[in-house]
Amino acid sequence: MFPMKWKVIEKSKLPVLMAELAKENEVFAPVKEKSIVSFERISSENQAYLDFRNTKKPPKEVFFPQTETLFTYRTDKKNVEVLEDPAVKGKRVLLGVRPCDARSFALLDKFFSSGEDKDVYYLEKRKNTTIVGLACNAPLSTCFCTSMGGNPFGKEGMDLLLQDINDQYLIETVTERGEELIKKFPWLKDAEKADIERAKKLSEDAEKAVKSKVSVKNVSEKLDRMFDDPMWDQIYQRCLGCGVCTFLCPTCCCFDILDEETEEVKRVRIWDSCQFSCFTLQGSGHNPRPSGKERMRQRIMHKFNYFVKNYGESFCVGCGRCVRECPVNLDIREVVGAISTRQVE
Amino acid sequence: MNNPYVPNLVVIRNITTENEANDIKTFELVFKEPEAMKNFRYRCGQFAEISFFGAGECPIGIASSPMDEDCIQFTVKKVGVVTTALHNSEEGTIMGVRGPYGNGFPMEKMEGRNVVIVGGGFAFTTLRSLTKFILHEANRDKFKDVTVIYGARDPGELIYKYDLEAWGKRDDINLNVTIDRAVPGWTGLVGFVPAILKEVAPSSDNAIAIVCGPPIMIKFTMPVINELDFSPEDVFLSLEMRMKCGIGKCGRCNIGNKFVCKDGPVFAYKELEMMPKEY
Amino acid sequence: MENIENSIREVAEKLLREKKVDLIIGYEQGTLPLRTTPCFVDKVEDVQKLVWNASCDVNLSKYVVGRKEKVGVVAKGCDARLIVVCAIEKQFPRENVVIIGVPCLGVIDRKKIEAKLEDKEVLEATIEDEQIKVKGEGFELVLPKKDFLCDSCLTCKHRNPPIYDVFVGEKVPEITEANEFAEVSSLESKSGEERWEHFKEELSKCIRCYACRNVCPLCYCKMCFVDQTMPAWFGKTNDLSDTMIYHIVRAFHVAGRCVDCGACSRACPMDINLRELMKKIEKIMKERYGYEAGVSFEEVPPLGEFKMEDSQEFIK
Repeated sequence: MFPMKWKVIEKSKLPVLMAELAKENEVFAPVKEKSIVSFERISSENQAYLDFRNTKKPPKEVFFPQTETLFTYRTDKKNVEVLEDPAVKGKRVLLGVRPCDARSFALLDKFFSSGEDKDVYYLEKRKNTTIVGLACNAPLSTCFCTSMGGNPFGKEGMDLLLQDINDQYLIETVTERGEELIKKFPWLKDAEKADIERAKKLSEDAEKAVKSKVSVKNVSEKLDRMFDDPMWDQIYQRCLGCGVCTFLCPTCCCFDILDEETEEVKRVRIWDSCQFSCFTLQGSGHNPRPSGKERMRQRIMHKFNYFVKNYGESFCVGCGRCVRECPVNLDIREVVGAISTRQVE
Repeated sequence: MNNPYVPNLVVIRNITTENEANDIKTFELVFKEPEAMKNFRYRCGQFAEISFFGAGECPIGIASSPMDEDCIQFTVKKVGVVTTALHNSEEGTIMGVRGPYGNGFPMEKMEGRNVVIVGGGFAFTTLRSLTKFILHEANRDKFKDVTVIYGARDPGELIYKYDLEAWGKRDDINLNVTIDRAVPGWTGLVGFVPAILKEVAPSSDNAIAIVCGPPIMIKFTMPVINELDFSPEDVFLSLEMRMKCGIGKCGRCNIGNKFVCKDGPVFAYKELEMMPKEY
Repeated sequence: MENIENSIREVAEKLLREKKVDLIIGYEQGTLPLRTTPCFVDKVEDVQKLVWNASCDVNLSKYVVGRKEKVGVVAKGCDARLIVVCAIEKQFPRENVVIIGVPCLGVIDRKKIEAKLEDKEVLEATIEDEQIKVKGEGFELVLPKKDFLCDSCLTCKHRNPPIYDVFVGEKVPEITEANEFAEVSSLESKSGEERWEHFKEELSKCIRCYACRNVCPLCYCKMCFVDQTMPAWFGKTNDLSDTMIYHIVRAFHVAGRCVDCGACSRACPMDINLRELMKKIEKIMKERYGYEAGVSFEEVPPLGEFKMEDSQEFIK
């Protein structure tokens, strides 16, 4: 399908490739800042860092920033002028995305493009971005991508897949857009058969290395009958109600909209979390989710039942960030496991 | 791609104070762009996101009838940041409107049938839109008997008094306005909405019931509706939820897998029975 | 360590059996190495779940606030002190809580271990008295425990809970030689501008997840100043100046009540050193008011009352 499907690049040459890309694109890649690796825009001031297991923050922020201006406005009481803040113009390349995170884009795409009113801000950025994935040779013990429809060498949601085969990256073309990008680098060498075989072996090993398995098979259907299950009274008790799991989750995308008047006057949207106590608080003072119990139930139901009903898949890619980062070690794998083995009428 | 987050500009043409406590006002808005007014085709029961630039946005049910073509009306209670800013503004102020959003009342289902409208307190606003629409001469004969039961805490809290007076004079509507407790000078009905509904006892035969009100009113009204033998698919409720985007994207107004802003706010009672009780 | 663990279970069982409490709040084994998780036991047979080791780092007093039932809480020095503070602040009736005091030699800072191992993952770990043995894919290390304890533990003056209802195990010697405010001096030696730049840099990483606030037992306000809208005190975006306001105001809200348990820094996913500002404020409280939080039921935190002998030199 793609005549240039398999290329290789020396690891040492990757910065050269990125510098070339940076001439016509904004390039985003993982950057290490003290102990934290997160996606940043690559410039002369920083350097891509690809020896990570997974980034602290998920790459969703490249398409769905934590704070985003929707539009600015000028007002002098009798007149208001709305200056639409268009979605980002210019082309982008997002490099170094693990397959679990790339899958999250496929899920977010479904959500943000559903219905008549589409989220133009997210979709425009997606449209203008080429995604270069980075396969996982060494999944963490908290990774459970294979239980959620993914794979450490999965290609869903990306245009090219880099595979670390020691001193080189094998570059596999996944989409036409990926091929267009590769065409711009005629100096890339063709891959040898041995390179492709090596990658295949690494892929098989990586899949086996995903030891954490979460049984989601019957969970969605069971949750239909579990809204009033007493299990929820226990699960939420240790939860602090902070936003760590939702903010670091690649697929969580709830937001709030507010007006800010500083030097500019503008309407912005910011990440919000269903775990925060005021999330569903109404003006009358009534809150349909008054305690951590209802909020935890919402999180689990949304990810493993509501989203499944609307889009056919769980809203979780098994990246394990919530498992590693939860301050009290509330493990979503344990919760889902308990649901899958629970006896429900 | 159309940007659904940018509001259309409107001007406040008129502000009417609706209640004695002075915290409910009706705002008459006119779009700055005539095209925008033409394109704002809405149904009874829908809502819009009202923008007050600098304060924010909030979802308000549309109070005007779709038959009014030169302006749109919203009745707003002062509860928070945006509504307070609205209440403090004057005629001529420029605001924003996004919408119309939501599914609205099931007008097609109601045609050819008796309509029973039950509303309490401030939630009457979209029911007023519905009643005006039905009573309009172009529409009236599409519907059969119309019964309205509307209650407020006391006479000062009744909104749309000017409409209630006009409707009271008509013979093609059975209007029942009630207040919670007797007050000197009030000669109308006295009693909570569910009690009055029981007394009026509109027939459920070939009838659709539309119920809007605070959760406590709904809680006590639904048993009466059931006693009157209304079938769950013929009873519709309009739900209140905290909403922000109005287009099913910000994630906060969901009940189960449905969004109140997109799949509601109007739900058949039969539908609600199958949804999680989280509203 | 094992003795303490067994003793905790015995005490818990006794309290439940004798119906002195309805619930025991303690720690159980977590799902990852070097982690424990809060455990809520209301049945005698479940006391076997309770564990005790140097990874029992969550501040359990968080789970006491707002409870109506009688609870027994496994409490390290810092946890016990916060139970005292919250009781003084009337967040629960004192008589509803049985403080199960446990001596603590410090909790492990996982971030220090992660920094040491870089991208390697710990798959198995054993915590012993003086060392931590960690094992993973292709490596096995023995780490000296003292180098991987939380900074707050290195200068802790209350390894034995100063107030308790039941004490489990033997009292351990308190640290006397360390200057508990040593780390503050690096901050103090900076000029005002330098300090501001330092905090700006540190706090620029903040993602406003509020883990620091939510893990803190002192942050129990039903409507936090963050969420207030009328008036809105500051912006909710992650604009740096708004973020700094959040952290500075929170530091002032816990001033005089904070015991430097370190839970906020441990909870922060972005590895921000949140303790720094709190520690400086704690120092001021000690110097200016001679006050230490949570060591007595008789004393109200200094910012909660006024004494005639309070320093007034700032009034010019």
